[in-house]
Amino acid sequence: MITSIARKEFAEIVRDGRFKWTAAIMVLLLLTAMMAGYQKYTTAVRIQQAAQAGTNEQWLDQGDKNPHSAAHYGNYAFKPAGPLSYFDNGISNYTGTAVFMEAHKQNFAIGRPASDQSAIARFGDLSGASILQLLLPLLIIFLGFTAFSGERESGTLRQVMSMGVTNRQLLWGKALGIGTAVLIVVVPCILIGALALSLAESIDHADSMGTRLVTMSIAYLMYAGIFLFLTLAVSALTRHARTTLMILVGFWAFTGFLMPKAASEMSKFMEPTPAFGKWMADMRAHQRRGFDGVPPFVKFAKYTKEVFKEYGVDNVADLPMYFVAVRLQKLEEYDYPVFDQHYGMIRDAYAAQRKVQDRFGLFAPTLPLRSISMALSGTDLIQHVKFMSDAETYRRNMVVKMNDYLAKAAVDLNATSSSSNYMRADEEVFAIVPPFEFEPPELAAMIAEHRNNFILLALWLAAVIGLAVVAANRISLERS
Amino acid sequence: MLKLIISHEARQIMRTSALWSILALLVAAIVFAAWSGGRSIDRQVEGAQAATAYEDGMRNHMRADTEKYLAQVQASGGEYQFAAVRHSPGSGPPQGTNAGAVGAETSKYVTLPPTGLAALSVGQSDIQLNYLPVSMATTLDVTKNLELENPVNLAVGSFDIAFVVIFLLPIFILAMSYDLLSSEKERGTLAMILAHPISIRELMASKIISRAAVMLATVLGFGVIALLTVGTGLDTADTWTRFGLWMIATLLYSAFWFALAVLVNVYGKNSASNGTILAGIWLILVVIVPQMVSMLATTIYPAPSRMELTIASREAQTAAEKNIMAKLDEYYYDHLEIIPEGDQKAMDFLTLSQANNNSIEKALRPLYDEFQNQLNKQETLVQRFQYLSPAIMMQLALNEVSGTSADRYEHFLHQVYAYHDEWKEYFSTKFLQRYPLKPADYDEFPNFEYEEQPFGVVMMRLIPSLLGMLILFLGVMLVPFVALRKYQVAAR
Repeated sequence: MITSIARKEFAEIVRDGRFKWTAAIMVLLLLTAMMAGYQKYTTAVRIQQAAQAGTNEQWLDQGDKNPHSAAHYGNYAFKPAGPLSYFDNGISNYTGTAVFMEAHKQNFAIGRPASDQSAIARFGDLSGASILQLLLPLLIIFLGFTAFSGERESGTLRQVMSMGVTNRQLLWGKALGIGTAVLIVVVPCILIGALALSLAESIDHADSMGTRLVTMSIAYLMYAGIFLFLTLAVSALTRHARTTLMILVGFWAFTGFLMPKAASEMSKFMEPTPAFGKWMADMRAHQRRGFDGVPPFVKFAKYTKEVFKEYGVDNVADLPMYFVAVRLQKLEEYDYPVFDQHYGMIRDAYAAQRKVQDRFGLFAPTLPLRSISMALSGTDLIQHVKFMSDAETYRRNMVVKMNDYLAKAAVDLNATSSSSNYMRADEEVFAIVPPFEFEPPELAAMIAEHRNNFILLALWLAAVIGLAVVAANRISLERS
Repeated sequence: MLKLIISHEARQIMRTSALWSILALLVAAIVFAAWSGGRSIDRQVEGAQAATAYEDGMRNHMRADTEKYLAQVQASGGEYQFAAVRHSPGSGPPQGTNAGAVGAETSKYVTLPPTGLAALSVGQSDIQLNYLPVSMATTLDVTKNLELENPVNLAVGSFDIAFVVIFLLPIFILAMSYDLLSSEKERGTLAMILAHPISIRELMASKIISRAAVMLATVLGFGVIALLTVGTGLDTADTWTRFGLWMIATLLYSAFWFALAVLVNVYGKNSASNGTILAGIWLILVVIVPQMVSMLATTIYPAPSRMELTIASREAQTAAEKNIMAKLDEYYYDHLEIIPEGDQKAMDFLTLSQANNNSIEKALRPLYDEFQNQLNKQETLVQRFQYLSPAIMMQLALNEVSGTSADRYEHFLHQVYAYHDEWKEYFSTKFLQRYPLKPADYDEFPNFEYEEQPFGVVMMRLIPSLLGMLILFLGVMLVPFVALRKYQVAAR
């Protein structure tokens, strides 16, 4: 029985002019978005790889100089594009793409693509993800809102009921019919996209690509399911098709457009991000007065005394290491806790904001889906934070290596009062710093991080299915 | 007659609960948007103040040292001398006497002041830092800082009043008017009403006018309240002129959406179909077309790669360092007046880095200009394609009116670049001459005063968008005006 209802529903939808139009638009947009995304992605990969190789080369080829000067010359970390960024570009337009790693300073990522785009980019990216997150639900609503209320209005519901169909059979039959019609539009596009991408050589296939794709598909299917059953539920509950439509379109605008912004504003209110100027001034002041209130130079004077005592000397010239380099490294290290605290403050604010926004997923299923989609595409905040922390680890290691080398290699300079410029190192010395490599967070860890979002999606799906079943059971012909 | 119908219609919609819930939602959205827009601007102002206070404090500190030193010199009768740059506490003249140290190690924050309406349309102001540190560092160092906002929030965009007007207002308008005629027809009341001496055009007009009046009174009323609470410069004519333009834009934009509802209604489909069509049109005009135009702009005129710029800038830096002496000659050639006496070429860190920075800047200037060029081309393309969607016209108009547009920022940047050159020139000359800065010199440091874009420029950029919306509205209105003649009153 269910299949024949589904077949009838499917045939009716597919023969409808509206379906043909919306389906055509959807297919066109999906293919365009995927193609543009793919083109952008391959360019980004090529440029990033060339740039990282280039900067590594430049580090080695910077010319003979003092190792500490080399650390000032520093190196760059360039952020690679996420493995599925051609599908969901996430926040990539709004995060910096390059971190300058130099002596003395921890830096933010600079070069945010959005700064080089016109204001119209704020309408959002047309991507596979945005189409599936925003257009797909509307397609489902359009195809399904008349399922019960429309039949009621045209009087066919009475006829159907008279044939001995149970309410539940009707619900599942319609769900199956509409679901098939929707999948027929979307699945071929995704397959074409996936095929094209798998044939392309330039794409670096992450090892966990299979898991990513499967998890992603499940999440989007759940999301589609939420809208499908919600549509059927509202359609069963309302008397007129136009009321059904009003409610559903209202909900769609609420979850897709209003809630993301409202959740973001609320998270900013509850967990404010410090303003750049305030943050910068606070950190500089903190550096000057020392992490624990003892200024770095005072601390270093004390340290010098300790070192003199330890080696039983009273003159720098008698020390077995080049003390200027020791000083440079010590001052560097005095800043670590200051950087950790202030940069950590921002990281924590972002993480806390993410938690707040995730909670709003209770009201809007688009929010958990969006987070999951970005995470699996490797274009979310967790990915970016990991990139920043990898860069900082690399920076500290690079500076330590250069200063340590200087401390050991230039012992004889202790006796001279002259500057350290007399010590020159070459490419061989610079090569003790290995090239920068970004380790993306483990997929399993990412999924674990988003556990609540998966639960939310599942809860939403279960709730709307429950609602649809209850609503279908309540259908009676009396009210029509 | 018309008056009678309008008042009748107004009474009728006032009694529908749907209207009140729509208005309540609209008001709630406006209040929330005003609150969050206000917070966004407060945050910018707070950041600018803290940064300025810190850097000015550092400079004042240096100045205080020179005052002490001056008093000491006067007391002991010695010579007021220039200090070499050093990075740790030491004896001798204070660092404040060294123009290189003052000009390179402290910055002057220059600020783009928000207009009175900035809180209403945050626009690009959340990604373009509106306070920049000017020092002797390179242009890259002046412009590289970013506001610290969570990128997730930036990607989502601000919930400001511009968002309410561009995205939500049309939804509310369409929700109120998608079934203007169709519902009467479905209930069978249309034929009855038209049995009275009234034309269908008059009926339509009265329905629209009553709805538009309610809606716009709400928007205007709460818009004024929002401006009074989160706007600034309320005593200036500039703010109120801008607000007037804001309202004109909102009026035209709303008029378009009402006209669209009428247009769809005259084709005589049922309410549900009207709703589907209007929701689809909303999606296309407000979401898809802007995204397509954006994609077009970035595909045709992509910004050069920042990564490649970085590599090129390193290339220039290495090249500069490798033949630093030649560069130093070149630098002195550009600054003949400051060649040290006895042809003793300076070898200290600051002089070298000055020479270095200069040659790097020279090499990179064209690359930077390329970014601005591409951005300008994108903007031009968007200006040209804006007529495809009233939402694009509206966004351009509101950003322009609120002073949060890309072109105002560019206007600011040009002044910053000029000031940056002035600052570098002032301090490097004094430094290379080994001129010891005195306390009084601190009052002579170059100052920055932002000069606002002439209002004519703003208007010239605004007019195409406003005219575009007006023409679009008239065009959409014309069709039903003609088509209503043939409207089928009886249900088919």
